Amino acid sequence: MNKKEYLKDKWLTILIILVNYFIILLILFAFKINVQATLAISGLYLIGFMFILLIEYLNKRTFYQDFKKKLDSLDQKYLIVEMLQEPNFLEAKILIESLYEIDKSMMEKISEYKNKTQEFKEYVELWIHEVKLPVSSLTLITHNHKTDDAKKILEQIHRLDNYLEQILYYVRSENAEKDYLITKVALSKVISNVALKNKDILLEKNIDFIVSDVNIEVMTDSKWLEFMINQIIDNSIKYSKGKNSFIKIVAKEEKNRVDLAIYDNGIGIKEEELPRVFEKTYTGSNGRNNKNSTGMGLYLVKKLCTKLGHKVNIKSKNNEFTCVIISFSKDNYYQVLNK
Amino acid sequence: MPKIKIIEDDISLAKELKELLENAGYIAIETKDFSNIYEEIQKEEPNLILLDINLPKISGEVLLEKIRKESNIPIIMVTSRNNELDEVLSMSYGADDYITKPYNPTILLLRIKAVLKRTDRKLDKIAYRELEIIPEKGSLRRNKEEIILTKNEMIIFLYLFQNQEKIVTRDELMTDLWNNNEYINDNALTVNISRLRKKLKEIGYDDAIETRKGQGYILHE
Repeated sequence: MNKKEYLKDKWLTILIILVNYFIILLILFAFKINVQATLAISGLYLIGFMFILLIEYLNKRTFYQDFKKKLDSLDQKYLIVEMLQEPNFLEAKILIESLYEIDKSMMEKISEYKNKTQEFKEYVELWIHEVKLPVSSLTLITHNHKTDDAKKILEQIHRLDNYLEQILYYVRSENAEKDYLITKVALSKVISNVALKNKDILLEKNIDFIVSDVNIEVMTDSKWLEFMINQIIDNSIKYSKGKNSFIKIVAKEEKNRVDLAIYDNGIGIKEEELPRVFEKTYTGSNGRNNKNSTGMGLYLVKKLCTKLGHKVNIKSKNNEFTCVIISFSKDNYYQVLNK
Repeated sequence: MPKIKIIEDDISLAKELKELLENAGYIAIETKDFSNIYEEIQKEEPNLILLDINLPKISGEVLLEKIRKESNIPIIMVTSRNNELDEVLSMSYGADDYITKPYNPTILLLRIKAVLKRTDRKLDKIAYRELEIIPEKGSLRRNKEEIILTKNEMIIFLYLFQNQEKIVTRDELMTDLWNNNEYINDNALTVNISRLRKKLKEIGYDDAIETRKGQGYILHE
């Protein structure tokens, strides 16, 4: 707010003052009041009004400039109400009271949605755990009553389980609260679990699974890591080329981090699509040619990595290879926490 | 024959689990009444318990703690809740292993066997015919004669040995190998078995491993 804006805003007041002054002058002339008295009355009248306008201007300027400055500096704009000083004019008081009311109703609305989301999340988790029971039963039934179609059925159960895991970790990753537990985890153990999970399909598709130098411990949540490696390997299997396919997993210890590389000689990713593979529901040309692609796998890998404080990188050459690298930092902070 | 108690409230799952365990040569007992499982266990004295976490009336974790106060009976937690916290908690309460649903049945059996073996230390010295088996050295010994097996061959031999006179499928052998971090392919398995067979033949056990076409292998006593 500057003077010009203020005066423009007050044009009606100023107009009335001037019109009144003109009428007063006419009356003074009509009664033939002498010049000294006319000047004195004019002075008192005009100075009085100018004084009123000036005080009001200064008051408002102080308040609104402070208001604007604080609003600009705030990251969460709605917190402005908490930061203002008690104003000394009515409009500002009304403004602050209204803002307070608005904030309050917005907060109520937000917490209502928050609760709804939380309830929904809990229900989905519960639901997933319930669905895993019939999936387990199916696996056992197929195993106990060997039929010719057992392999096909198990393959479909494997897919079903994979999708269930995806939604479970999607829900977990969307949750604001901490849902993981960082401990010292042996990479070999996690890789072994993933390998066993994918054993049948790897053997079926004749993909060699080569693991070396993974006797290293890292700080992570083993279940989350298992899910992430599983997603990466699932892609490697999905996009393998057929003959002489292999997946190679190597861990390397650097000075302040451990790199886990998952390499495959599959169809690779086009250079122009590579920067987008971690985007949600991005499937690229490979995905579009493959109906089973959801575009969620790598997105979730990236998201969970970020939550756990790991880094994830991808390198690829179209028609040659894909390599996903997860980097775990050797953070002393975690080690202190776990002592 | 080891007795295994199944504590699982999903009826269809419990039934199939029972069948799986019985086919594998165990005595399996289902749980009917969840309000006094603890008393049931005391009466039945099983060798191992498969315990679900989500149970009606009582939480699996609470039950685990209660059993642990009184006995060292091996307990494997079986659950569909796969998060790290539950696993760490269960292990700290004294569970011997933790498996998430849906599990691979062959792996479940391997884990059961491993836990039973860990708690039953009577089997220190193991022998096949006149051969003494020394797994950690990868050797089979008869007096002064010694056969050295590779790690893979030893895994295969031990699995066949533990299932003598029973048909062992290629899938079971493969699962055991992969479970021991040996991620070999089909061809390598064939090669390993024929090498093992050759080594056994060299010391006169021609008939040790029989191949059943389309079914698997049998190690004869």
